[in-house]
Amino acid sequence: MSKPAKRDRRILWAASVPMMLLALSCVYPIYFAINNALKDRKGYILDRFGLVTDPSIENFVTAWSRARFDEYFFNSVTVTAGAVLALLLVSSLAGFALAVLRFPARKLIFGVILASLMIPVQVVLVPFYQTIVALELLNTRIGLILSYTAFFLPFSTYLMTAFYAALPRELVDAARVDGAKFLQVWWYVMLPMGKPALLTLGILNTLYCWNDVLISLLVLQDERTLMVGIAALRGEYTTNVPLLSAAIVLGAAPIVLLYVIFQRKIVAGIATGAVKG
Amino acid sequence: MTVKTHKTKPPRKRRGGFGSKQEQRFAYLMLLPALALVLIFRVIPLIWGFFLSLTNVDTLGNGDWVGFANYARAANDPTFQDSLINTVILLATLPIWVMLPMLLAILIHQGVPGGKFYRAVYFFPAVLSSVIIGAIFSVVLRYDGSLNNMLGAVGIDAIDWLGSSSNALGSLIAVQLWSTFGMGVLIFMSGLATVPDDIIEAARIDGAGFWQRLFLVIVPSLRPIIEFVAVVTTIGVLTSMFGLIYVLTGGGPGTSTTLPEFLIWLEQGKLNRPGYAAAISMILFVMMGGIAWMQVRIMSRNTNL
Repeated sequence: MSKPAKRDRRILWAASVPMMLLALSCVYPIYFAINNALKDRKGYILDRFGLVTDPSIENFVTAWSRARFDEYFFNSVTVTAGAVLALLLVSSLAGFALAVLRFPARKLIFGVILASLMIPVQVVLVPFYQTIVALELLNTRIGLILSYTAFFLPFSTYLMTAFYAALPRELVDAARVDGAKFLQVWWYVMLPMGKPALLTLGILNTLYCWNDVLISLLVLQDERTLMVGIAALRGEYTTNVPLLSAAIVLGAAPIVLLYVIFQRKIVAGIATGAVKG
Repeated sequence: MTVKTHKTKPPRKRRGGFGSKQEQRFAYLMLLPALALVLIFRVIPLIWGFFLSLTNVDTLGNGDWVGFANYARAANDPTFQDSLINTVILLATLPIWVMLPMLLAILIHQGVPGGKFYRAVYFFPAVLSSVIIGAIFSVVLRYDGSLNNMLGAVGIDAIDWLGSSSNALGSLIAVQLWSTFGMGVLIFMSGLATVPDDIIEAARIDGAGFWQRLFLVIVPSLRPIIEFVAVVTTIGVLTSMFGLIYVLTGGGPGTSTTLPEFLIWLEQGKLNRPGYAAAISMILFVMMGGIAWMQVRIMSRNTNL
């Protein structure tokens, strides 16, 4: 009995060496970005790999004020907040209708929304861009908010529908008997009951919107979001690495914070859809 | 006018029936925003894009129907051909994308020391934007970058990771794999949680060694998860590598890291031949359509609607 167990343990210990190296590589970006962001340009040229000796926040100041990352940051915050709110609102309404209410073509509509997963933005790049132009949404934040909502909606609707479908029907029926209007049922019953799913979606959609670059490049061409700003900062041969690193820290900090606080929620949200029922 | 709407509500039918007229009208109203967004920004553009791909419209909107000429042109376009070859190479690496996270998840599940720590840390790159990953690796993978510096410390000659066309695609794939494998680990972990421990334990008592239990007991019971990860990964590598390509390699050197989604972007940016870009889009749509359909099937099966 004890022999195989001992052998198991040896295999697991042997495996933990490469697993540790892999783990180190996963946190390396944090070291890379912070370490280089604190070097000045000369310090970086003299010692590119070593630990910073004379840390300064000069790069953050430059990025924030001269490289216009204050504007980019503001754009990202506005657009992400707007899109996440819109996504929660729209998907909760749709999820309520699809999971609880009974009406013709219910499955068809659910199918259409879910099937639009098969149409990523690359597949409709040209006509999508023309639509944005035709609706006079080019270079507007509201245009980017609507675009994000449209492209991240199917998963949100799917999750809200699945979540509401699992709630006991009696909840709604009881509220209805008491004479509540459907809108009231949604506001007073479904929204509060849906909090766990809405929180998960809020976090995941924040990640998606904040991290996006393609839709943002298309829709918001004059102004920039943070990710477009960082991409632009990375010139081919003359990249100012310390400045780029400072921009990376600015762009990643909100996400890292979110990850640290809500790690469990994120993990659970990602795993949904894979294994359920 | 409907007579009996408000005063005499018909008793609500419970099984399979529809709700009251009011309930139905309200349902459509609630679905309106979702449907409008999806139709305006995705479904109609898809149909519009198909018609566009059959024309040679220019920026001023003048043009003629050209039938499938844009598709014929794509078939003869060396850049497009290269992007397809790159896609085939990318898809050939798919087994690694599935098996690496599976193996890691099983090891964590079987009690590798520090397993919880690994699970949290492995997932970290997956929450970072591909722009951030790309920007960091564009510096790390330079010829005089820190990776070659570290390799030099253990006596390995410097390698031109991004600058040579024979290495660039491999580097791109490796970075993308590195940044997303944690997601696979998570999905496999939650799948492993559904494998009853007593089956594994019974196999152990019956004398099955570590690897036997792995391949004869655990892996077979993970089949649905393997299926799911394979589908999601395939869609992912076909449609979510734009950010990384854009920042890390710009599609080059030459066309060595140009994938169809990036080529569409390049063609769209030229603005002078939207029909051609639309045609490549349609080809990408067909390529991933079948795979995405499988994902939709798995997801709607799981909702039990």
